[in-house]
Amino acid sequence: MSFLSPEFAVVLALGFALFYVSPSRYRPHVLLGLSYVFYVTWSAYYALLLFSLTALVYLASRLFERRTAGSEGFVAITAGVAAVLLVLALFKYGVWLIDAAIPTRAHGTAAAFALVAPLGLSYYSFKMVGYLLDVYWERVPVERRFVPVALYFSFFPQIVSGPIQRAGDFFGQLASLDTPDADRVVAGLRRILFGVFKKVVAADIPAVLVDKLHSSPSAFSPPELLLGAYCFAFQLYIDFSGLTDIAIGIGQLFGVTGPENFDRPFFAADVQEFWRRWHMSLTTWLTDYLFMPLRMALRRLGQLGLCTAIFVNMVAIGVWHGPSSTYLAFGVLNGVFMIVSALTLKKRKRFSQNRLALARVRRITAPVVTFHLIVFALIFFRAGSLTSAVEYVVHLLPGAQSTGIPLWRVGWLARTVGAQTLLAFAGIEAIEWARRTPEWSARFLSASPWVRWSVYYACIAMIVLSAQATRAFIYAQF
Amino acid sequence: MTREEIHERLTEVFRDVFDDPTLVISDATTARDVEGWDSLMHVNLIVATEKALNVSFTTKQVQSLTNVGDFISLIASRLT
Repeated sequence: MSFLSPEFAVVLALGFALFYVSPSRYRPHVLLGLSYVFYVTWSAYYALLLFSLTALVYLASRLFERRTAGSEGFVAITAGVAAVLLVLALFKYGVWLIDAAIPTRAHGTAAAFALVAPLGLSYYSFKMVGYLLDVYWERVPVERRFVPVALYFSFFPQIVSGPIQRAGDFFGQLASLDTPDADRVVAGLRRILFGVFKKVVAADIPAVLVDKLHSSPSAFSPPELLLGAYCFAFQLYIDFSGLTDIAIGIGQLFGVTGPENFDRPFFAADVQEFWRRWHMSLTTWLTDYLFMPLRMALRRLGQLGLCTAIFVNMVAIGVWHGPSSTYLAFGVLNGVFMIVSALTLKKRKRFSQNRLALARVRRITAPVVTFHLIVFALIFFRAGSLTSAVEYVVHLLPGAQSTGIPLWRVGWLARTVGAQTLLAFAGIEAIEWARRTPEWSARFLSASPWVRWSVYYACIAMIVLSAQATRAFIYAQF
Repeated sequence: MTREEIHERLTEVFRDVFDDPTLVISDATTARDVEGWDSLMHVNLIVATEKALNVSFTTKQVQSLTNVGDFISLIASRLT
């Protein structure tokens, strides 16, 4: 059941009505029921897996709480983390691991092991591991009630593709699920509307062009390929941030505000900053639970330890998306960018400090350079294979083919789609900026109902007109 | 070493790590208050502090810090 389907809208409305009339103390139970109904519509078997893992993690946390010696607690947490990661590895990387272990496997072996990954496994398994480590590091107390724990892992707005909320933040909000007030409901609906608008009206604009360019890069000129690379970056951003808006908006309806995932990432001044503003709930998760422990363990190695920790972290971000050489290449490229950025940080800062005029220029050029580095890495992210990605990059180079075609002479489709995508991105970023600026946000909210409702109806009309050919969310597959 | 002495030594470490000789820290200072204090710099800060004050921290201790005041308390506990 997709967030964009009419069935989901009906379930959401009925669920909200039930939540509204339920006594406060039973609201977590209602949400848990709703979450499992949502999950069962996708797969009852995998709902059982989710429940079993939940029970296992809950048990590990309770055993940790009851430990009589330090080692007992360590064993309980390690066993819980290992079990969750094993399931994640089996479903997500099983075929890949088998291929690696048995290179000369018999025909059909891969198909036999080709398990379909459970919906949201990448997200809920990270929540589970994060919860266990938080308990171990004593950053959150053990939650003794089963329902909040089960709800945290299965919370339906976040299970499809996050955001990955932290346990402490979630449990804190769950403690006071008051009767929803009109302001909160309207804010949630507004956020959902913005997310649906992003996805249905804007995100898919460049999809056909990007598909075409990646299916046979050699057939296109460098300017077209360059335009396509820009378009994919905007497509991915609009698509995923739209999905996050919907998830956060639905959560708000039920009194649970999820963490933000994006902070206008394409305006970042360097790659480090980009990763602090892109898919933030995943990157902060990996920073806390992978990068920091690794960096601490390797801190005696100096710069080598720093580079190793960064590289492992970025490769993990890449392969988190799936067992593919293209995602690995995406992670490796970002690892290299991050290492260079981290190692030159102090020198760059000092260089700019002593040259004020240059610093002003840098304020404009730095985001442009960063954007192009990310666009380059995203070519690998989008490509069907590593060969295809390399082919795309080779034909992107000036002189590779159709030398000298200026950008304004690119094909009609590329030009039109490029312009539409850029316009959509600019419009959405302007709304994002206004939404996050209290003064502009207040100005819109205090405008006459005629103005506000005209905007809402215009959005709804555009959604209805564009709804025919909406594709699935890109990040729903991870 | 008293809290004041630790604070003084820690200020030197902060100024060196963040390359800012005017940086002022208090117990309430958090990563949000210091430009450039991200996860990379956080571990650099830990390593520099370990060296300067001849102490050692575990990952668990580092993960539970919320502000400079916590950090000073942690250092004080490791020095005793």
